[in-house]
Amino acid sequence: MNVQLTESSPAAPVQRVNYWKIVSRNRVALLGILMIAVAVIVALFAPLIARYDPKSSEGISSSDVYNPPSAKHWLGTDDVGKDIFTNFVYGTRVSLIVGFFASFISIVIGGIIGLMAGFYGGRVENFLMRFTDIMLVIPDLPLIVVIVALTKASLMNIIFVIGIFGWTTTARIVRSQTLAVKSRKFVLRAKAIGAGNWHIVIHHILPLVLPIMVVNAILVVSSAILSESTLAFIGLSDPTAISWGQMLNFAFSRGAMSVGAWWALVVPGFGIVWIVLALTLLGNGLEQILNPRLESHHLMPGRPSFQSEAEAAPVKTGKSTAPVLLDVQNLSVNYVSDGKVAQAVRNVSFQLHEGELIGLVGESGCGKTTLMMALTRLLPAAGEISNGHVIFHGKDLAALTDEELSNLRWSGISVVFQGAMNALNPVRTVGDQIEEAILKHIPHFPPKALSARVEELLDLVGISAEHKNHFPHQYSGGMRQRAIIAMALSCNPQVVIADEPTTALDVMIQAQILELLDELRKKLGLAVLFVTHDLGIVAEMCDSVLVMYGGVTAEYADVDTIYNAPRHPYTQELLKAFPDLTKPERRLTSIPGSPPKLDALPPGCRFAPRCPVAFERCSKEAPALHRLGENHLASCHLVEA
Amino acid sequence: MNRWHLLQKKALWSLFTIAFVIVLNFFLFRVLPGDPARAGIKDPRLTPETIEALRTRFGLDKPVINCFKTINPLVLGACDVNPLETQFVIYVKNLFLGDLGVSYYYNRPVEDILKERLWNTILLIGLGQILAILIGMAYGIFAAWKARTVIDYGALITGLIAWSLPTFWLGIILLFWGSSHGFPISGKSTPGMSSYPLMMQIGDLAKHLFLPTVTYTIVYMAEYMLIMRSSLLDVLSEDYILTAKAKGLSVFQILKDHALKNGMLPLVTVIAINLGYTVGGVIQIESVFSWPGLGGALYEAVNRTDFPMLQGAFLLIAVSVVVANFIADLTYSYLDPRVQTG
Repeated sequence: MNVQLTESSPAAPVQRVNYWKIVSRNRVALLGILMIAVAVIVALFAPLIARYDPKSSEGISSSDVYNPPSAKHWLGTDDVGKDIFTNFVYGTRVSLIVGFFASFISIVIGGIIGLMAGFYGGRVENFLMRFTDIMLVIPDLPLIVVIVALTKASLMNIIFVIGIFGWTTTARIVRSQTLAVKSRKFVLRAKAIGAGNWHIVIHHILPLVLPIMVVNAILVVSSAILSESTLAFIGLSDPTAISWGQMLNFAFSRGAMSVGAWWALVVPGFGIVWIVLALTLLGNGLEQILNPRLESHHLMPGRPSFQSEAEAAPVKTGKSTAPVLLDVQNLSVNYVSDGKVAQAVRNVSFQLHEGELIGLVGESGCGKTTLMMALTRLLPAAGEISNGHVIFHGKDLAALTDEELSNLRWSGISVVFQGAMNALNPVRTVGDQIEEAILKHIPHFPPKALSARVEELLDLVGISAEHKNHFPHQYSGGMRQRAIIAMALSCNPQVVIADEPTTALDVMIQAQILELLDELRKKLGLAVLFVTHDLGIVAEMCDSVLVMYGGVTAEYADVDTIYNAPRHPYTQELLKAFPDLTKPERRLTSIPGSPPKLDALPPGCRFAPRCPVAFERCSKEAPALHRLGENHLASCHLVEA
Repeated sequence: MNRWHLLQKKALWSLFTIAFVIVLNFFLFRVLPGDPARAGIKDPRLTPETIEALRTRFGLDKPVINCFKTINPLVLGACDVNPLETQFVIYVKNLFLGDLGVSYYYNRPVEDILKERLWNTILLIGLGQILAILIGMAYGIFAAWKARTVIDYGALITGLIAWSLPTFWLGIILLFWGSSHGFPISGKSTPGMSSYPLMMQIGDLAKHLFLPTVTYTIVYMAEYMLIMRSSLLDVLSEDYILTAKAKGLSVFQILKDHALKNGMLPLVTVIAINLGYTVGGVIQIESVFSWPGLGGALYEAVNRTDFPMLQGAFLLIAVSVVVANFIADLTYSYLDPRVQTG
């Protein structure tokens, strides 16, 4: 444990990160920075850029009032005949000064309050956060207006007042981030060594809180700039400092509207929009960098299926004399992103017979879940069926229209998802979610019988009727998994696909759920495709086993053959990693390495780099799927007849 | 039971916040240099007797608070006075009687003026908020559903630009446009309208309400759209959406029955938190369109140094925001079952 601790927790969490490199890759943030840079340059070199002196009224006559844009005055003149372009350029200064200094005050106050609340916790936190909540509710702009109106509207005053009322969001964000960082290992370790609070905050917590503070600071700056311009617009501005809001106030209250002097009204606003938009873009860009979002969601239209290869006769599996329910023929699935294609599943065929339970095994990343999702076309948006058919009742699921497929989902083939995850909607009752499935597929289900049917289903999986109207968060992990099974059975499907339904549950509950599933299968005559990486489960429940590796079928056989006479080295290695109580005691070994990355598949056999018995041919030529018996297939050069 | 408990707790905090606002409001106006005694009665033309009479009339002759010298560096109080005779106690007492003082400018009770104006503001905010929420939500949902398409990027860009527009400037631009397209440029009704039939009065009101409401809607719609979009993008990548899809539900059913309620939760929070901010926008809109509401009252009070009005308007605005926030909190706990049953 100790060794691990020192290994996994570097003394200083701060790594030298090239921030510029990260930021420059985000186009939104880059545009924001560029726009801010322009504003800063204009502010710095205002005297060089402006064509007149804003303070002098030399040479201005009454005929200069509200002149439209001309060669002499690029952006026209204002109510006292001054050059708007000049005022506009100088106005940049006030906005940036207020934005910078006011937000500096806000962030220092908010940062200290947030750090203290998060770090000390307890009463300090309670008091500070209650105070923050109160300040957050009190509308800040009216308060700022009142205070500036009661004091003097000098630039200093405005900066100060905006600054001391703009800290609430910062305090909240910093507090929650501090709380998250505080319990990390390196902080606990620093405490254990006896580092002082001050040292811990400065050296360990602040560096990790800082990135979020920077994003927040950008928003604080833009809201300070907006506050200043609003104050100036309603008449609270420093008469000695020209600002955009002030220009608008003068133009608006001194007749620009009635004489049609649009330039006096449009130009200053453009400055505010420029700077606020720049900050918003930068803030958004940085936010994207800090919290990268998934590029897709479940409702994005999927990629169409197609046939990339000539139809080959699919391999037949199973010795069952029962009729075939689900016939998977030469199925291939690709993931396409940024024009790059990765083969996730390649040429997999098998038949699921009535009442049969096939276990789909392999390590994580071997294409099990992809294959399962492809069967009813639940692949993520980047996934596509690039070859093959999924025949169910004479229809090819890979080629159906969305609507036809929707009608078959759940009523023909249902899916048991991992219940410990978020597979149930947290804001709807469990009973409601089961009813919904029934009503979708049996629209004329008698309303009176509906409730009884849901109770019957819950009873089937051992949940008492009183839990029907409870929400998922009121269920335990095991109950949630049972409820999902009940939901999967609600429309009397013939095929149930179970995707590692017990992974996140404890061993006792796991056993219960599996027994339940097996019992229901026999009772209701279901055909089940069971995805797992637990060979123990497979031995106990399955009729046949499909071992997948790197997206291809490694071996397929009935369960006895797989356990007693596996032929593929991968199956053999997998079995060595699991304890078998029926056989003499032996050492458990794991397979070194990990499954190949889908975008970098080895040229020959996909298992060759990890295979203990690989020879020269394996790294050059992919093995074909060889038939070894009536119901035994393996893809390995060693089994070639 | 938990829900009731939560409601009590929230109500208590709201009351506490209101008390804090009352105290803050009182002391701001007594402590800061622009206090009524100096600002309102500083006219050199007044004789000392008149000043004294005015001070008595506004209650400024009494000590601000009872003996508080030890902790009070500004020495506001005086000892040996009846605590009930201090300005603070009188102020609080008057508040409970609904008396907010007399406006310097109108020379009428502040509460009478603000009472009419409160409803005008509620009308503007209510209408604008409903439109902004509806349009913003619909637009946000659509953008999230069509993620990474031209529709989505277009929504994002217009949203960010609209979000960056200063409210008062947008108002000015719309006013500029509206004044040349037959829209009234200020106020709530055309003078003399009250003698016309009711339908015409309503039509006149709608005409006056149009531009302020559009301004309000554009500014807040953008924000709600951006929040709804990002919250819905999160929701649509959740496992339960995949479950709903596997169940065979249509896209419309999934959006309506599974995504909307979850996706709305952050929006409700933001609406609640932003109520204070919304009021800031209302001040700007009402100033531009001379809409006779609370924000306009604040604007006028600033420009006329009408302190009783400023104080009253601020108090009413702050209290309304606290109450609205309380309502939003309740809505949230109604939407998210995890809050009530924890």
